[in-house]
Amino acid sequence: MIQLCSNDDPPVSFTVPRKAVELSKTIKTMLEDLEGFDMEQTPIPLPNVDAPTLELIVKWVEQHQDDPPPVEKPRVEDDDSDDSDADDDQEPEVVIPEWDKKFLPTDDEQKNQLFKLLNAANYLEIKPLLDIGCKYVADKISGQTVEWVRDYLNMENDYTPEEEAKLKEEIAWAEGL
Amino acid sequence: MAAVDAEVARLQAENDRLRRTLTDFNERIVCGRLTGELPDNFLEQFSQLPDRPLEHVLRFLPARQVVQMRHVSRKFNHLIRKCSKTMPKMKRDGTVVFRNNNAGELTVDWFDDCGSKITTTTTSLAGDEVALSELLRFIRIGGRMFFGEGVSAADEVLDQLSKAWLTIHPEVVIFSSDISHTSQDSLRAFLVKVEPSIRRLNFQNVTNISDSLLSDDVIGAAGRLDGLMVLPMCWGSELRDSNVISDINIGDRTLLAMADAGRVSSYFFVMGCSGITPGGIRAFVEKWTKKERPQVDANFSGFGWPLELCELTFYKCANVTAAAIEDACGDLLKKETIAGAGVFVGDSGEMQERVRYTTQCPSSNCRLEILFHYYPFHSHFVNEPRLDDEIDYNYDDDYPDDLDPEIEDDDFDDYDGYDAMDYDDDEDSDLD
Repeated sequence: MIQLCSNDDPPVSFTVPRKAVELSKTIKTMLEDLEGFDMEQTPIPLPNVDAPTLELIVKWVEQHQDDPPPVEKPRVEDDDSDDSDADDDQEPEVVIPEWDKKFLPTDDEQKNQLFKLLNAANYLEIKPLLDIGCKYVADKISGQTVEWVRDYLNMENDYTPEEEAKLKEEIAWAEGL
Repeated sequence: MAAVDAEVARLQAENDRLRRTLTDFNERIVCGRLTGELPDNFLEQFSQLPDRPLEHVLRFLPARQVVQMRHVSRKFNHLIRKCSKTMPKMKRDGTVVFRNNNAGELTVDWFDDCGSKITTTTTSLAGDEVALSELLRFIRIGGRMFFGEGVSAADEVLDQLSKAWLTIHPEVVIFSSDISHTSQDSLRAFLVKVEPSIRRLNFQNVTNISDSLLSDDVIGAAGRLDGLMVLPMCWGSELRDSNVISDINIGDRTLLAMADAGRVSSYFFVMGCSGITPGGIRAFVEKWTKKERPQVDANFSGFGWPLELCELTFYKCANVTAAAIEDACGDLLKKETIAGAGVFVGDSGEMQERVRYTTQCPSSNCRLEILFHYYPFHSHFVNEPRLDDEIDYNYDDDYPDDLDPEIEDDDFDDYDGYDAMDYDDDEDSDLD
């Protein structure tokens, strides 16, 4: 069993089976690097994850610990490192399983919890969780107006009118197509 | 244990840093409003979703919406632009035509697969206008790229199109304009950019080719091609006076590279390339004949035209004449006098016998033809999609057997081959 600590003060700790916790690539790599140490006795602090979020993460990894490992595909990193003209427009296909549909904090009041969860899934590199969470958000955003998305993602319109005009021109150019 | 300690210390430090920022943040809230000067990336630290998941979310959206989402906020726009290479893009697999008018404006006409026009977009290449590369950022260009009217293939256009973040995957690229403002470096960079997808490259009726623009080296940047046409514009007296046509530096190296063409139909049509030698042609014929091909099922052949057709046409290439070919590779090729008229009026007014040299691999049903006159060029000539009369255009499309010499290029390569031969016959019967 591995202990994980949230970033709260005082930290809240969770005890998770090693197999489940290894769904997080970040923790898996860390455990591998520290092979030979008795990690069962050392709680791992997670500075980016608070207790409610960590609780969700733990719940998810415990549920999914027996899943077959996802097929690893080389991830195309940001533009500059990518010279391959691989298929750049393939849509990732993600289906949210029933259990996960109920698991995700999908109520509108809970959206910040959802974002925190995605944030943590990203930090902990739990790809399948990140996939289904992002897919859920994308489905939610899909077809919505710019204003709606701004509101939903807690973003502010920080453009100057000039910038906005210029951008509008750029976007209009593509919209004719 | 030292490693764990180090890791714990690192994480603790990170934790402390965030805690300090948060304290700072709380202190700045007066009556529920943020006050004071904020560090540049202050808000980003607290934005609900960091870049990576946001980018991930965007990838699930339709391309059109991703473009619109740039309006959401600066951070969003920045993120979308940063990841433009992996973002969903609007696919354009028809033909895109670049034209340039005297005012320095570049118009970009978009046509769908069937040649119907979708829209025209205009951009300026001067001043502080939004750059072309910026406009094309979220569009994926496939199909054909056509550089028409004006100096549309000028360096400033090609340089923009060669930008690393653009997704430009044309199969066919046609230059059909004044290329006086095109430099070797820009053309090479552009060909390198399209190298993974390009299969055919046509310079058809191009004007003002500078002496050093087209060379083996530059064409080589396009990688393996199945079709290459180099046809400078020539009218009236120019046609008869070969001195007017500037020499094009394409030689045996480019020709030999064509022997690797993998498609069912390949063509190499060049004009004014004195670098091509009979020896080079012999090397090509040998390489082409020995090329490994899948064996053809005997029951499957016999459609009346070969399954693989390779056409070489040399027009006004100083070192390539029928006699020279006869000398160099007469043992490899069969001389044929083209059916119908045996003679025709040559460029300089004299009567010439029209011949072609051929070779055939019966086992794999493929055929190589070497010709020396101008007309075969037309069979792989790509017409610029017409803007005004789409109905007329569609008419042409529906009747591919139209005798109009400007035969529509077609993606069916078998058809191309058929057409090329068919055309010869038409031509000759005219002269009867």
